Amino acid sequence: MTLTPGLRKFVLSAHVTFAVSWLGAVAGFLALAVFGLTSRDAQMMRAAYVAMEVITRFIIVPLSFAPLLTGPVLSLGTPWGLFRHYWILAKLVITILSTVILLVHMQPISHLSHAAAEASLTSADLELQIQMVAASAAAVLALVAATVLAVYKPRGMTPYGWRKQYEERTVSPEP
Amino acid sequence: MSKTAPDRGSPPGTPRWVKVLVIIFIALILLFVILHLMGLGFGGHSLGGHTLLIEHGVQQL
Repeated sequence: MTLTPGLRKFVLSAHVTFAVSWLGAVAGFLALAVFGLTSRDAQMMRAAYVAMEVITRFIIVPLSFAPLLTGPVLSLGTPWGLFRHYWILAKLVITILSTVILLVHMQPISHLSHAAAEASLTSADLELQIQMVAASAAAVLALVAATVLAVYKPRGMTPYGWRKQYEERTVSPEP
Repeated sequence: MSKTAPDRGSPPGTPRWVKVLVIIFIALILLFVILHLMGLGFGGHSLGGHTLLIEHGVQQL
């Protein structure tokens, strides 16, 4: 199925919006995680961890799933395809891994938020606090890498893409 | 659109940037496993154990 030009632009706009918003939201999460780890103000620190859960649950998680929907629709609805070019495949892998890792971190994020709300963060939670900084920093790097891939579109066709292109040229040779 | 357009023969080789990306990915996985085995976190979350309160966590109690 090929998208019409109007629909393609609409899906592309949605995809770019979701992907860049996801990056921005994770950057905000990273700022809160660093603040929570380094702040000397107990109330501000606790507020940061509560805010982190809210941002994650209502912004980051929905934004992580949205590009997983718009990306494949966009690539399958255009000649790019989903598995024909390495850069699209790399973006897909980065998006899936980032979403899975995010979901894995939901429980510790929730734990930190509840512990902070009850003012009962212990030294055992310090490991989690550091983990939040490391994980969100890694996520920012991964999402920046995905954005760079989308902009530069580095060359490289997968064996599947090469085969499909060859088949299409064989079936309908150019006049 | 990629300008790679082989007409026949074997498929083109894997680009260098893909190999670099795969090496970075494997290195990160190894780092994760090593840190995990050393007990330095990243999944080694323990909710029990220590009961000492973080200083700034109890300032307002």
